Amino acid sequence: MAEANPNSNPAVLETLGEEMVRIVAPVSACMLLVVLLVTALSSSSGGGLASIATIAYSDDSSDSLWDKLKGALLSSVSFVVLITLLTFLLVLLFYLRCIRFLKSYMALSSLVVLAFLGGEVFLLLISRFYVPVDVVTFSLLLFNFAVVGVLAVFLAKVPIMVNQGYLVIIGVLVAYWFTLLPEWTTWALLIAMSLYDLAAVLLPGGPLRLLVELAISRDEELPALVYEARPVEHLPGAGRRLWRERRDLASNSSSNSNNLEAGDPASQDTSLVIAEEGPSVSALTAPFLQQQLERHGEVDLEGIGLSSSGAIKLGLGDFIFYSVLVGRAALYDFMTVYACYLAIMAGLGITLLLLAFYRKALPALPVSIALGIIFYLLTRASLEVFMVQCSTNLLMF
Amino acid sequence: MERRGETIDEEQGLIGPRPRAGGGGEGVSVRRTWPTVDGPHGLSEEESVAYARSYFYWGFALLPFLWAVNCCYFWPVLRNSHPSPHVRRYVMPSAIGFTIFTVLLGSWSLTFLLGGEQLFGPAWNDLVMYNLADKLGLTGWA
Repeated sequence: MAEANPNSNPAVLETLGEEMVRIVAPVSACMLLVVLLVTALSSSSGGGLASIATIAYSDDSSDSLWDKLKGALLSSVSFVVLITLLTFLLVLLFYLRCIRFLKSYMALSSLVVLAFLGGEVFLLLISRFYVPVDVVTFSLLLFNFAVVGVLAVFLAKVPIMVNQGYLVIIGVLVAYWFTLLPEWTTWALLIAMSLYDLAAVLLPGGPLRLLVELAISRDEELPALVYEARPVEHLPGAGRRLWRERRDLASNSSSNSNNLEAGDPASQDTSLVIAEEGPSVSALTAPFLQQQLERHGEVDLEGIGLSSSGAIKLGLGDFIFYSVLVGRAALYDFMTVYACYLAIMAGLGITLLLLAFYRKALPALPVSIALGIIFYLLTRASLEVFMVQCSTNLLMF
Repeated sequence: MERRGETIDEEQGLIGPRPRAGGGGEGVSVRRTWPTVDGPHGLSEEESVAYARSYFYWGFALLPFLWAVNCCYFWPVLRNSHPSPHVRRYVMPSAIGFTIFTVLLGSWSLTFLLGGEQLFGPAWNDLVMYNLADKLGLTGWA
């Protein structure tokens, strides 16, 4: 007799939780690490950071509120304009099939982030805690860390865990660096980036939408920093079964010829999804928003979507901005951290639901950042007062 | 009628009909293992050999982490649950190399840590990282 065929609803629910956990876990890990770094390394020096984000305005605590606001708006608008230009440049390069140039450029910028930014963060930690490490050990370990990181993220095949770990680390380092910006600038930047995200992915002329459509029409993967959750193995008879077929590099006749010359197998992944016993699986490709980091000119992506093997992909820019929000909340107090964390997770859940519903590229920033900011303000305005009263009257906490 | 089930071996990544209790007959069980730790999402045999070889040779360029990645990636080969002599030729020496490197670096690091100034004299202060960072102003830009 045929074995019992469970209806598809429980089957989808069985693996839905696991798929969500596989995205929520790294986002949470990234945020946790940024909060730890911020609390361990926070010093009194706020602004004074010379970079493009503060090129228009550099915080000075004696400025009036209006000046700070103006300055913050100016900084964030200039940042968003820069990002838009760089994204259009990326679309152009992708259109002209300069894939090799893009990949080497991104490998170089990842190297800069891991080696310089990572080295600096490690040095700050060492100085703060007076860990007696010597020069030889430190430089050797840093060198290894950076080179293997670049290989893991871009150039070669490594265990999936290593790849994911390094992506989270890059997110943590960049997010930590962003929390060093002055306060008003950070908030203005978050709001500006959410709006940009919304516009760039959903509007027909938006650069990210163009990029995604180009990638889909050519059936290529975008060369960018994207976190891909490990695909979930479904049980037999449960509906879908997804396999990842590796295309042989030599026989890859599509437009990936640039990659083949380099012999580097980095982005050759699936092309086929074989569906057995169940509804056919729509082959979806990855959608992403991108975002250039100012100082390093790195290309990250924001936005969320489904890869061609059905696994959820989340751009690294999302990791970074969520962690920036939580890191900035950590500079105030832990209460705001908890509130913002929950708000961001709720936003992420909503975005994933929308993704499952619409099945196309979606911006992952707006919902979460909006909820995060609202809850941050509410916490500071009302929850704090409540908790302080409770504590001082020995009622709770 | 006897019931035939299907098995899937999740780590092993292939599905095959469960052999019948009576043995023989048409029940063929195919158990396939994979050389990489990622299972069916990992590399194929030919690619594995190429990667194992290149990670092994590049590890000599002061990159013992590559040896560690090698061991990690081809863990089934190292544990002999997936016999593959070509890959093993490179993974075994990588494991040995990484162990030797860890021992050497660990002993130097511990000597530095525990010896302190008594052992090294004033040179200790010049070698330790936080002093060096302050002297060179490496943490100045954040």
